[in-house]
Amino acid sequence: MSTAQAKPEQPKSPGKEQPRYPTTGEPISTIARRAKAGLWTLIVMDAAGTIAIIIAYSYLWSLNVNGGWAPPGASLTGSETDQSLPSSPPTASFAVEWPFWAIFGLVIISTLAMWFGYRELKRGNHAGMVVGTGAALVVAVGALVAQWIQISTFPFAAGDGAYASAVLLLCASNIFNLLILIFLQLGMLIRTSKGLVSQAVHYQPQILSYWMVWLCIAFLLGAICTSFMVESPNLDPAIFGTFQQQS
Amino acid sequence: MSTETITQTATVFGDEVPQPRQYGKPGGIMRRLNMGTALVGGIGLAAIAGFVANALVPSGASTVTFAPVAPDIVYLAILVGWTIGFSVGIGAFVGPIRWLFGRDLTHADAEYMAGKDLGVKRYFKFTTDHKVVGVQYLVVFAFILGFGGLLAMLIRTELGVTWSEVFSPAFYNSMIGTHGIAMIIAMIISVMGPIANFIMPIMIGARDMAFPRLNALSLWLVVVAALCLVSTLFTGGIQDGWSVYQPLASQGPPAMLGYQMTIIVFAISTGVASVNLMVTALTMRAKGMTWSRTPIFVYGIFGAALMGLYAFPFFQYSQIMALTDRIWNTSFFNPLQGGSVWLYENLFWLLGHPEVYVIIIPGTVVLFELMPVFMRKPLFSFNFAVAGIVGVVALSGLVWAHHMYMTGWAPAANYPFMLSTEMISIPVGFLVLVVIGTMWRGLVWTRLPIMAVYAVIFNKMIGGVTGIYLSDVPVDQYMHGTMFVVAHFHYMLMGAGLFGAMAGLAFYFPKMTGRVLDERTASIGFWTAFTGFQITFMAMFVAGLQGMPRRVLQFDSLFNAPNWISTIGAYIIGLGMLIFAGAVVSSWISGDKAPANPFGSKSLEWQTPTPVPLENFAVLPVVTERPYNYGVPDPYEKELQEADQDLHPEEVGSR
Repeated sequence: MSTAQAKPEQPKSPGKEQPRYPTTGEPISTIARRAKAGLWTLIVMDAAGTIAIIIAYSYLWSLNVNGGWAPPGASLTGSETDQSLPSSPPTASFAVEWPFWAIFGLVIISTLAMWFGYRELKRGNHAGMVVGTGAALVVAVGALVAQWIQISTFPFAAGDGAYASAVLLLCASNIFNLLILIFLQLGMLIRTSKGLVSQAVHYQPQILSYWMVWLCIAFLLGAICTSFMVESPNLDPAIFGTFQQQS
Repeated sequence: MSTETITQTATVFGDEVPQPRQYGKPGGIMRRLNMGTALVGGIGLAAIAGFVANALVPSGASTVTFAPVAPDIVYLAILVGWTIGFSVGIGAFVGPIRWLFGRDLTHADAEYMAGKDLGVKRYFKFTTDHKVVGVQYLVVFAFILGFGGLLAMLIRTELGVTWSEVFSPAFYNSMIGTHGIAMIIAMIISVMGPIANFIMPIMIGARDMAFPRLNALSLWLVVVAALCLVSTLFTGGIQDGWSVYQPLASQGPPAMLGYQMTIIVFAISTGVASVNLMVTALTMRAKGMTWSRTPIFVYGIFGAALMGLYAFPFFQYSQIMALTDRIWNTSFFNPLQGGSVWLYENLFWLLGHPEVYVIIIPGTVVLFELMPVFMRKPLFSFNFAVAGIVGVVALSGLVWAHHMYMTGWAPAANYPFMLSTEMISIPVGFLVLVVIGTMWRGLVWTRLPIMAVYAVIFNKMIGGVTGIYLSDVPVDQYMHGTMFVVAHFHYMLMGAGLFGAMAGLAFYFPKMTGRVLDERTASIGFWTAFTGFQITFMAMFVAGLQGMPRRVLQFDSLFNAPNWISTIGAYIIGLGMLIFAGAVVSSWISGDKAPANPFGSKSLEWQTPTPVPLENFAVLPVVTERPYNYGVPDPYEKELQEADQDLHPEEVGSR
């Protein structure tokens, strides 16, 4: 391969010197482009994980194997269920739907606050960025607390059938996502306060804002599942492992 | 960056660059962290977590399958403690914590973390230089391959000694499962780890990978995962094959948790490695390196990384669900409570088949990279090669259920999956066509790497054709679960993947180690292993055609002869691999110093000095032509021909 030698990449507008990345000396725009590409690939990876959860939820919901989708006591399908192996008293029921949407709403508010801060930063309003990020952080912590309260007050336990398992996994995934989000927002707040995030160096809050849009989609998918895919449509479920004939 | 945070500037490749405040000596706490602290942290936290879990869990508690809970909880606590402790001890969390508190790295910090002036110590630290990570990957790969290979020898010993039982059935089953997953991990990292990490950034004219710390993280997570896997041998073993189908796994010993932790951690490693490789290929190519001038190796690695990126989370979540089923009594896979074992199989094979291409594509493109060098002609139909890779990546996610023909899941879907599986042979055929077209009328410079190409083509042809048999539903109804399947996938994963990786190692050995490989000894090892490979797996095809089921300890005497032959072949493979490994190690220690470009290659990675300097290129290159222009006439050749006209024919002949 024929090659020539070139100077390191220069900023596009020579009159306006771009900040340089301290470790490599590259222009910040180069680092930002790289980080954005990293973000998109991370979203692909996280989306695959989210799809895996959604597949698990919808698959078990549609099959209703052994009539075991619904928690004991909440089964409205009239299906033949092996009642010899209940794991808890038949008082459990499906989860209330609105908390899923409330938590989704909090994530949206947090995202909007982050975008507000980012917009203000681009306008040169450093204080606006601090306010926006701080507000986004507070709301995200609120969402985490709400998620925790929801999990701890579910009317079922982990062993109460496939619905309980799928919903708990969705909520655990939400908690994981919120913990990462809070870490990133806290870091952004500290870094903004220290002046490491500025009008000239704003790619990190931009990336975080994009990431939060993806989180909104992930939370929305979860809320849709838990609201519109509650009772299994399969009223004549397959019976496995009990030597019973399918009706 | 505000001015109050800037305390100094540093000269970075000739430019004065403002630096954040330096806290202490360059490297900070990373100066104190290494593999020793990682082991202390991992073992220490594992012990503490184990003791705490043991004290807290009631001894009489049992799971829904009436298995005692305490061993599971204690073992899981040990595994989690090991993973976190090791990661903390090696310094994996230092970067995120520094970022959180705004203590950004300086250039001096980054150079320290890249291993500047650290000598051999840099191979035992969380070093960010891609070349160090590549070499670390090579060593880790060798250890995992050796571990899996040793288990293979023991398995073949059991099957060859047909007159008695060498191992207990439970331990035999454990060896099968552990061998399977160890080899899968080894093969996934065989090219993507050592060669892609070391070579690809230089090949595209970059100074490092896009995210150097993620690069180091991916390597050390493999170490964490590998030791989780080894621990399963001491906790009951993985007794239900590498696929650990449910509900067998939920009824198995605590070792299942070790398997699940291995996969969860390895999936994170693969994910961050994939992100890194893809972003590096997308954003860090040198000026002038358009997509048509980008080496085919980069396309292959990008494609394999993309498959790993989208497919591994399915596998990871299948194991998370299996873990919660076991520990928290959830019922994803427990039919008695609404779960489905088919859900597991679907999630598992959504990775399981793309993973085959994650292994084979890098093993193939490394051949594409070396063939033009030794044939002294351009790669045949670069566009076909790209189309082949794109086709494989596109179809790889649509073929998973051909592993489930016989499970009873969605029989109506069998034929669409048969079609998609057979369709994937078209882009794979493109790749074979590129190999044959490049070899056609080439002036072969017979060295070990090019000889390995012949071996890989032979193996891939057999593996590919038998794969088409197995993709047919009627044939699979007979062949499924037999030794025929085992022989088929070994021809693909080992015959094409491992031998391709060996070719790549032989080719890039001088650049990676700075030494010349003892090709004579390595060739003896290579061809011995190749011969043993054919003996082992041809005999296994015969046993499979006769109907011998896989994963069995005892079998009918009808199958004795192919098993004896197969075991002899396996020992020959082992001997060959030892000879090859001996050549590699001895050359690495005391081989002749390698010149910068011993094969006269035109691609960028060979234009750097050997050993490659820390920054790869003092000044970044600009690419002006395609990487395989070996067919372009040499400008001096015309002058030489004109001079020849003035000479007497005998003088020309003697030249």
